[in-house]
Amino acid sequence: MPLPSDFQFSQGSLQDFVDCKRRFQLRYLLEIAWPAVPAEPYLENEQHLRLGALFHLMAQQHVLGVDEGRLTAMAQEEPLAGWWQNFLQDRPATAGAQYPETVLSMPFGQAAERRLLAKMDLVVVDNGRATIYDWKTSRRRPPRAWLAERMQTRVYPYLMIQAGAELNGGQPFAPEQVEMVYWFAGFPNRPERFSYTADQFAEDGASLAGLLDQAATLSLSDAPFPLTPDESKCRFCVYRSLCNRGVVAGDLNELDFDDPEPAVEFDLDFEQVAEVEY
Amino acid sequence: MPTSAVNLTGAQRAVGAAPFDRTIFLDGPAGAGKTTAGVQRLLNLVQSGIAASSILVMTPVRPLARPYSEALRRTRLRPGSIPALVTAGGLARRSVELFWPLVSREAGFAQPDNPPVFLTLETAQYHMARIVRPLLEDGYFESVAIDRNRIYSQIIDNLNKAAVVGFPYTEIGARLHGAWMGDESQLRVYRDAQESASRFREYCLDHNLLDFSLQVEVFRRYLWPLAECREYLQGTYRHLIVDNLEEDTPFTHDLLRDWLPQVDSALLIYDREAGYRQFLGADPDSGAALKVLCTDYVTLNESFVASPALQVLGAHLATALRQPAPPAPPAEPAAVRQTLLFEENMRFYPQMLDWVAAQIVDLVDGGVLPGEIVVLAPFLSDALRFSLTNRLAQAGIAARSHRPSRALRDEPAARSLLTLTSLAHPDWQRPPAPFDVSYALMQAIDGLDPVRAQLLTKIVYRTKEGSPGFSSFEQINPDMHERISYVLGGRFDTLRVWLADLQQRRSPATLDHFLSRLFGEVLSQAGFGFHDNFDASQAAANLVESVQKFRQAVAEGDGEEGREGKESGDLGREYLDMVEDGVIAAQYVRGWQEVDRNAVLLAPAHTFLMMNRPVDYQFWLDIGSRGWYERLYQPLTHPYVLSRHWQPARQWDHDDEDAANQERLYKLAVGLLRRCRKQVFLGLSELGEQGYEQRGPLLWAFNHVLRQLAVSEKRQ
Repeated sequence: MPLPSDFQFSQGSLQDFVDCKRRFQLRYLLEIAWPAVPAEPYLENEQHLRLGALFHLMAQQHVLGVDEGRLTAMAQEEPLAGWWQNFLQDRPATAGAQYPETVLSMPFGQAAERRLLAKMDLVVVDNGRATIYDWKTSRRRPPRAWLAERMQTRVYPYLMIQAGAELNGGQPFAPEQVEMVYWFAGFPNRPERFSYTADQFAEDGASLAGLLDQAATLSLSDAPFPLTPDESKCRFCVYRSLCNRGVVAGDLNELDFDDPEPAVEFDLDFEQVAEVEY
Repeated sequence: MPTSAVNLTGAQRAVGAAPFDRTIFLDGPAGAGKTTAGVQRLLNLVQSGIAASSILVMTPVRPLARPYSEALRRTRLRPGSIPALVTAGGLARRSVELFWPLVSREAGFAQPDNPPVFLTLETAQYHMARIVRPLLEDGYFESVAIDRNRIYSQIIDNLNKAAVVGFPYTEIGARLHGAWMGDESQLRVYRDAQESASRFREYCLDHNLLDFSLQVEVFRRYLWPLAECREYLQGTYRHLIVDNLEEDTPFTHDLLRDWLPQVDSALLIYDREAGYRQFLGADPDSGAALKVLCTDYVTLNESFVASPALQVLGAHLATALRQPAPPAPPAEPAAVRQTLLFEENMRFYPQMLDWVAAQIVDLVDGGVLPGEIVVLAPFLSDALRFSLTNRLAQAGIAARSHRPSRALRDEPAARSLLTLTSLAHPDWQRPPAPFDVSYALMQAIDGLDPVRAQLLTKIVYRTKEGSPGFSSFEQINPDMHERISYVLGGRFDTLRVWLADLQQRRSPATLDHFLSRLFGEVLSQAGFGFHDNFDASQAAANLVESVQKFRQAVAEGDGEEGREGKESGDLGREYLDMVEDGVIAAQYVRGWQEVDRNAVLLAPAHTFLMMNRPVDYQFWLDIGSRGWYERLYQPLTHPYVLSRHWQPARQWDHDDEDAANQERLYKLAVGLLRRCRKQVFLGLSELGEQGYEQRGPLLWAFNHVLRQLAVSEKRQ
């Protein structure tokens, strides 16, 4: 199936493409639902993801001015209660205009037909500088080198420069004016900061375009995309049975630094069209 | 209809390009290009440099937003933020979620410091069932002869209507009572409906559960008046585009009434002679009343869809139904007559279906794309769907059905999973029938045909004191080994051992976890039926999601007490009870699932109208049926009495019913014709699907129109 002309890339789908092209094909191109267990223990994983989502919501509510006391009263369960206390005590200083849950998008690829989208937890603009914050609730704190390789670290600043002008009075940000900060709710004193440069911007532009070209080329054939050579990744991938690469889900304790399933993906319609049917 | 700015009419272009400080009310009949103008305005707004995140596009239901989302995807928009596409219900829910801590206490929730639990229609029905079941045992709704799940859904419907219309839910029973002028026993039904609604609401408040009605009420009463929420919404969204205003509810219209004076720009789009969702609380009149708040008023009258002859046919039908005829361009009577095709002298329903199928085959053979054909009926029964799909399949023509609800439990893969669930939990004492077991095995094991599945079931499936179980393939007669084959037998044993192992370890703890593991560890492995069957995996995913939402809604609703107090097995068993009752997995809709567009569509007429996709050819089945005219039998509710326009002192009589039905039929018929480009085929048979003679008002109206046309032709 050829990559649709209106296909929308996100850091999540690009990360999948980098990790395992077949996973990208199944999940984003063919949209195959495959309800296997992503990781065990199942309920513990579900609970962790639920509390992580709640933490993100509370952080947004905090930015919107919801009373801190009332929010604190809602953080009853661990590890949420701990994360929240950490947030209140040690959250990064965020002076300037704050834009929670900001979505940016831009035309992407040679013909500019496809789009690249990102949803950022918080963007703070101060004196012409943009800081992108990403709240992380993962169990372990990943090392800087691991984070530096993530598509998120490249896509978010790149998009901020290409599409963030409306957050800066119509003036595009220069690469040196953009910074990406990972703040870890479980490790509040050890945020990871990535400043951006013109060289990095040029390199990311070329490498992102290269990935898109690769995906488009692969999609011209009906053949399955190549599977990841690193089979340890398959233990936390729901498609493992489809690829004949395993039976049971991996153990959360053996997972590296990511969540077993990426955060909920979205497109132009994403959560905004949350109709309640009746 | 024009699709690019180049093809737009002057009026459409003017709407699209009107200054971004205007509030425009745009009306006209369906097919006049209003949405196209709306889409153009959206694109212009985005390209103008206005922050796209300040644009809110609102539609009554998600499918109606599709032209906007498709245009946003198709167009090479400049880099930046993106517009929001919402329903009013979605906006209310999102606002409740964001500002919950500020209003949870004031709104009367018993656990204000716990997060809200949003209910889907499915989980709302489940909780309603929990409340109403004991009442039914006590004799509530004794005189009502409808399925239990319809009782639950009508009580929920009443609460929704109270919320969107804006009257206290405690007045539901009194309103229905006041308007009733028939048998006294019905008054007891209304009392019971009120009692059930009140208990449900109290239960929701006690457990932080928010069904649609409570989301709307919390938003309307507590959030919209709250400065933080209102400033957030009005500050964020400065440009509104609202389409199909006539299909939305007074809740949306009230919201817009407050919001319009604050926006930079707005475009409100209104379809005349529509309002098909009135039975769900839509109110075309309160939508039309917003016109006076707008700075500009634009009408588009010219149809880009229906031919002049079809428009004239619509006008004739309106007259026949004693309704005001919509304006139509001139057309010769002969041309109008040629828009209709039908075959008389058919006595039986299947003959009509044969005729319909034959006509479709002729059209397709003549080069018409199947996607340009729709077959419409007032209701789409399983039997009708099967009969027609089968006839078309024999001719090699693909057909797809679109019903507002499709039973998940009827999907082969889901049925198979539910049967295997019963087998894996013998202590639940739910032995499946041998037929279901062989069906499940056939789905589960790749290569197992129906004959061998039945044979295998006969040999290995046993029920002992109400507990189902399998014996081993290894232990059966060697002759049977040969007949079933060692390969298939081996696969069966893999499944059997896996199920038995789980029983011994009493895990996994929840039904959704069980189903996920069964799918991932067995059924989707090589050699099993779901391995590369993406339809099956989709059905399995839907089932897992349904079970998971059910579990989460129950557990979260009951809080810690519920989570710890309720055995997970009980919840699983309860889920199966609800499936059996038709409460759950009966209406599991995947609204965004893409469908094969190059297939003949079979749909209920109202559903087709709300899809808002014109076609070249329409087939109207069984036009003699009174189903085209009469409201669905809903003894616990009433769309007109529970509307904003109802005067409490009045009673609803037969004349009211006739007038309402007449107007409904008129809107339906005209709405369908406006979504047809070329021709309408009328399906006629003396006896209907149930074998009764058919002489409904639509048939009568068409007869009248045909006589009129014949007279006009003679005059010429």
